[in-house]
Amino acid sequence: MSTAETSTLGSKDEYTEKYGFHDADQYVFKARKGLDRTIVEQISQMKGEPQWMLDYRLKALDIFYKKPMPMWGGDVAAINFDDIYYYVKPTTDEVKSWDDVPADMKRTFDKLGIPEAEQKFLSGVGAQYDSEVVYHKIKESLEKQGVIFLSADHGLRDHEELFKEYFGTIIPSTDNKFAALNSAVWSGGSFIYVPKGVHVDVPLQAYFRINTKDMGQFERTLIIVDEGAYVHYVEGCTAPTYSSDSLHSAVVEIIVKRGGRCRYTTIQNWSSNVYNLVTKRAVAYADATMEWVDGNLGSKLTMKYPAVILKEPGAHGEILSIAFAGKDQHQDAGGKVTHAAPNTTSKIVSKSISKDGGRAGYRGLIKVQKGAVHSRSTVQCDALILDPESRSDTYPYMEIEEDQVSIGHEATVSKIGDEQIFYLQSRGIGKDEAAAMIVSGFIEPIVKELPMEYAVEMNRLIQLQMEGSVG
Amino acid sequence: MTTAELNTSTSFEQWAGQAASRAAAAGETPAFAERRRAAAEVMRSLVLPTRADELWRRTDFRTLEAALPALDPFVTPTLSDNLNLLPAALLERLGENALCPPIVVQVDGGTAFERSTDSLEQQGVIVCSLDRAVREHADKLEAHYGTMLGDDVDWYTAAGSALRSGGAFVYVPDGVEAAEPIRIAQWISRPGVLAAPRTVIVLGRGAKAVVVDEQSSVTAEGISLHVGAVEAFLGDESKLAYATLQDWGRNVYHYSNHRARVGHNAELQWVQTMLGSRMAKANSYFDLAGAGAQAFVHGFMFGDQRQHFHLHTLQRHLVDHTTSDLLIKCCLKDRARSIYQGLIQVSEGAQRTDAYQANRNLLLSDTARADSIPGLEILANDVRCTHGATIGHVDDEQLYYLMARGLPRREAQRLVVEGFFAPVLDRIPLDDVREQLRHEIEHKLG
Repeated sequence: MSTAETSTLGSKDEYTEKYGFHDADQYVFKARKGLDRTIVEQISQMKGEPQWMLDYRLKALDIFYKKPMPMWGGDVAAINFDDIYYYVKPTTDEVKSWDDVPADMKRTFDKLGIPEAEQKFLSGVGAQYDSEVVYHKIKESLEKQGVIFLSADHGLRDHEELFKEYFGTIIPSTDNKFAALNSAVWSGGSFIYVPKGVHVDVPLQAYFRINTKDMGQFERTLIIVDEGAYVHYVEGCTAPTYSSDSLHSAVVEIIVKRGGRCRYTTIQNWSSNVYNLVTKRAVAYADATMEWVDGNLGSKLTMKYPAVILKEPGAHGEILSIAFAGKDQHQDAGGKVTHAAPNTTSKIVSKSISKDGGRAGYRGLIKVQKGAVHSRSTVQCDALILDPESRSDTYPYMEIEEDQVSIGHEATVSKIGDEQIFYLQSRGIGKDEAAAMIVSGFIEPIVKELPMEYAVEMNRLIQLQMEGSVG
Repeated sequence: MTTAELNTSTSFEQWAGQAASRAAAAGETPAFAERRRAAAEVMRSLVLPTRADELWRRTDFRTLEAALPALDPFVTPTLSDNLNLLPAALLERLGENALCPPIVVQVDGGTAFERSTDSLEQQGVIVCSLDRAVREHADKLEAHYGTMLGDDVDWYTAAGSALRSGGAFVYVPDGVEAAEPIRIAQWISRPGVLAAPRTVIVLGRGAKAVVVDEQSSVTAEGISLHVGAVEAFLGDESKLAYATLQDWGRNVYHYSNHRARVGHNAELQWVQTMLGSRMAKANSYFDLAGAGAQAFVHGFMFGDQRQHFHLHTLQRHLVDHTTSDLLIKCCLKDRARSIYQGLIQVSEGAQRTDAYQANRNLLLSDTARADSIPGLEILANDVRCTHGATIGHVDDEQLYYLMARGLPRREAQRLVVEGFFAPVLDRIPLDDVREQLRHEIEHKLG
């Protein structure tokens, strides 16, 4: 394969330059295109998995075949499941030393700033390249405290009992078509266990990179935060800009036990040829807190609604979502919270921006089950539409089966106010810059929740997207 | 196909034929006979709504469906010019004031009484049954009938159109302000009835009118079904105040489609209430079709026991410089359930749209359930669109405040609920109808 295939999508030159490159394909194993039992068996065999996992995969494959495609949200009809590589093993095995990473991949991740970031401000890093995690490292001090941070494959290999206890319990393969697909062909992702009372004070990070053309990436992440523990997990995603489409369909399951707290931050910046169809769900037990910080900037179509099930009294869930849809992009983002116990609280803040004919939206559900008395929830969705060609959608669902509750939802859609632009211009700021400032201010409530380095990056990405937006 | 479905399809096949021959005998014009035939065709091509349909996912009509084949769509009253021959309970319901104004009264599947007034006739205003309009005002009716509400919405809509029985027609010529408020009353006299009336309201340029549409019946043993349809056309610069007040007996299933098109600089004041019926489902769509069009929509639902209400509203801003403002309030007791599903759509190019949508839900028991699904689909950028929804219980502080002033808890709660509904009640155009509703609410609060 030659490098000549790199993007013809010129709209985001900076993206192409910074993330859009790709390495020449070098893999130790690449399954043929398409999906059937043989492929699934092959993946499992390559990984040397226990029989129960193979059985689980095959069962999920049957479910995948039976489940209908979602008829709502974005247009997924163009996905050709037969034209995808489901498993591409880039290297023999993951390594713990940066020096051992093959040169090509090292160059990729160096360009993306991974090792640099690790040294500066992370507790641990995982880097996934196509189907497999190629590099994984965690600080020794954390390892000594019993914190596990492995690729999901190694998690299964080294901690089978713990893995098996929780795997698939939050998102069963019957959940939806894409969760079934992931359950059948999953590879890579992270496995994290934080023991009782351990506070991981700097974030753990995973970086996901698709390199191969027509590739499907199906990572699987399982995070268990034991009682009173805390962890912040950050993931970033990019891919080369190919002329044909890729599929990213992850499943993320999180368990936060009594008094624990987990924050999961995503900065999704896939190239605009990636279908990003992800199922993310967490269960929060008594007095536990689960926070999703979800930034969606890239991809062709994203359908992702991080969910929290507040299972025991006092649990708290938060979802902060930013969606930015530019040309040819559809961001169908949102969040779901189920109040299943008394005195549970939740908060959703969604900020979406659409531009250059892009379509950004919020789709969410607040469900209060019977008996979840004194639940409280607020949802706030704000949307900015930057030009007449773009579109914004808001679909909040509220299903309330209890009276002793307080549920509120507010949403607004507007453009950037002429007065605001005028005010800034009268102070000598250019029109473009003024618009970018206003957008930065608009998403500020969420950006301020990001670690410093990410907040800076986020603002830079927004500024990039905003260039030449006010005409 | 299940047995029930099979029965339904054979019954409906017979019904469609019977409806056509009855209409022909009653002097319905070929144009309208053709409409029935086309609707029957659509009905045959559809199946009963299923949960796969987003608008039917939360409302289950299966109990009704089992009883459908046994219903009678041809229960017709004798048309009389003596108001006093109407059922006593209906007369009581209409009140003394019913004796004066222009009114069309429907009982079961037909018109029982219709009367316009001299002053309206002098103005050229038409108030009559739809059947009379088909015969005598086809020129005015045909240009509008069915242009907003197609038969293909779903099976019930197609069936309602094929079996149409009764309904009313209101026509106000250009520049005329109808001298009196117009009443439409619908009544179901016994169980086993299937009534499918359609109302068409046409306001010419600069015309003004007030129309109140009341639906009620005494609770009986055995299911009845009311499939309603309303189309309201507001010409440029016209103004319509329309209230549809649903208070069917607890044996009635109710499904209705309402459509209103608001022209250039025209204003619609819309009130919709749901108090009665076993299950009620209504779709009310508002098209802001001319620059400067305004629609103000106020509605409430008050459910108790096992009542189930489902209201779907659509505010469609089709052109620039239009305004819509919607407020739906819902209060639930016992095991009642409500679904409010609302959507604001702003079309491409509909700049300077100002749209608002609010849904407030008050739950009075822990077994009640309210679903609120407000939505926005915005395809223009220079707009102001906002929606808000809240679900909660009676504020303890409000109760405490009232109880601290010596009111018993029950009385305090009643006051809070009345206060909750007050903003919508205030919008009801006729004093006696408003009082009647206030009374119904109090009665329901118990």
